[in-house]
Amino acid sequence: MLRTSILFISLSVFMACKRHEAQDISQRDIDTTLKFGQVNALVTIDQSPMDISYYPSDYPILKMNETGKEAPIARVIYSRPHKKGRKVFGTSSNSICVYGKEWRLGANEATEIEFFRDLSIAGKPIKAGRYVLYCIPFANRWLIILNTNLYTWGLHMDSTKDVLKIDLPVAEQKPALEDFTMVFNGKGDSVNLQIAWDQLTVSLPMVFQQQ
Amino acid sequence: MIRKILFFFCCLFHFGLQAQDKTIILDKSTLDISYFPANFPLLKVQEKTTAPLQARLIYSRPAMNGRVIFGDLIAYDKIWRLGANEATEIEFYQDVSIANARIKKGRYTLYAIPQSSKWTILINKETDTWGSFRYNINKEVFKTDLPVEKTSESAEYFTMYFEATEKGMQLLMLWENSKVVLPIETSIKSK
Repeated sequence: MLRTSILFISLSVFMACKRHEAQDISQRDIDTTLKFGQVNALVTIDQSPMDISYYPSDYPILKMNETGKEAPIARVIYSRPHKKGRKVFGTSSNSICVYGKEWRLGANEATEIEFFRDLSIAGKPIKAGRYVLYCIPFANRWLIILNTNLYTWGLHMDSTKDVLKIDLPVAEQKPALEDFTMVFNGKGDSVNLQIAWDQLTVSLPMVFQQQ
Repeated sequence: MIRKILFFFCCLFHFGLQAQDKTIILDKSTLDISYFPANFPLLKVQEKTTAPLQARLIYSRPAMNGRVIFGDLIAYDKIWRLGANEATEIEFYQDVSIANARIKKGRYTLYAIPQSSKWTILINKETDTWGSFRYNINKEVFKTDLPVEKTSESAEYFTMYFEATEKGMQLLMLWENSKVVLPIETSIKSK
């Protein structure tokens, strides 16, 4: 049953998505320049759908339910690749994320994190604003990096625009996750961005200034 | 065939929910981003940009899924979030003008009130909110009526994207057999 489902999923994904994973830039260029009349092909649904996480969690819903709510504290916009039976982290080039090589923490566009207040990460002050977030994974730790080269595709990070690098330990993710996931959790101004996929998770600690 | 696939998809999704915690649930109506100039991040990484980033739209993309959309799923004369889930967000990276009204650079939410032959498009300053259930009219900054064109081929997924025009750009909105175009003027020349 599960196998059949997976087969059908792959098939439906294949049918629904002509927009391939980002390695193939030119292919996507072609797909997105099709003319009107081929509406569905024009801007197809992404294979790795985009998602948005806020802190406080589900902020837009909280705001809908509560008038005059103060501004959100942070949000991250990223795409969510699926494991689909592949090896996610490893040393070989057939892993999706290769140890020692930069990874956009998602798919498609570079992942964007926005802080609506000044904050500090590992004692280092960071100004409110938008940043690109990416990482270099290793077996037991990940280097998490904030960068100011915004609005770019996630394949070639401009390391001259890095503003923060922090080494963080890798922990075990249970249950293992099929879809790459980022969520904020925390209490008040002390917040962690939990980054998780397959059997691994990393937590980026942030302390926001009071309003 | 499609129905069968959807059925299996639902089954798998269901198993997924039982096996894993809520944080991993993928949205049924996926989020997407459109840029002007179109595909700006790709152009940037290929060093092919000819103009700065001028606008960006973040919206969710519901599917028709065999349903009748306008006048049924999306009621006429009611505010619609132009998407699903979070309110649709539009950001201008410089001041623009729409139907002779000046819109300052910044982040806004975008809504529509659909009717059979015209849509009223609303731009609002209340950001980071969900849907249109609590539309804050006090933060409305712009409103205009636009005609609906009927397309011969229907759009399964709700789709919005920008195209270049002589005076700047236009935002195309397409779903089912409806197409609405919002012209947006900028002072930036694309080439």
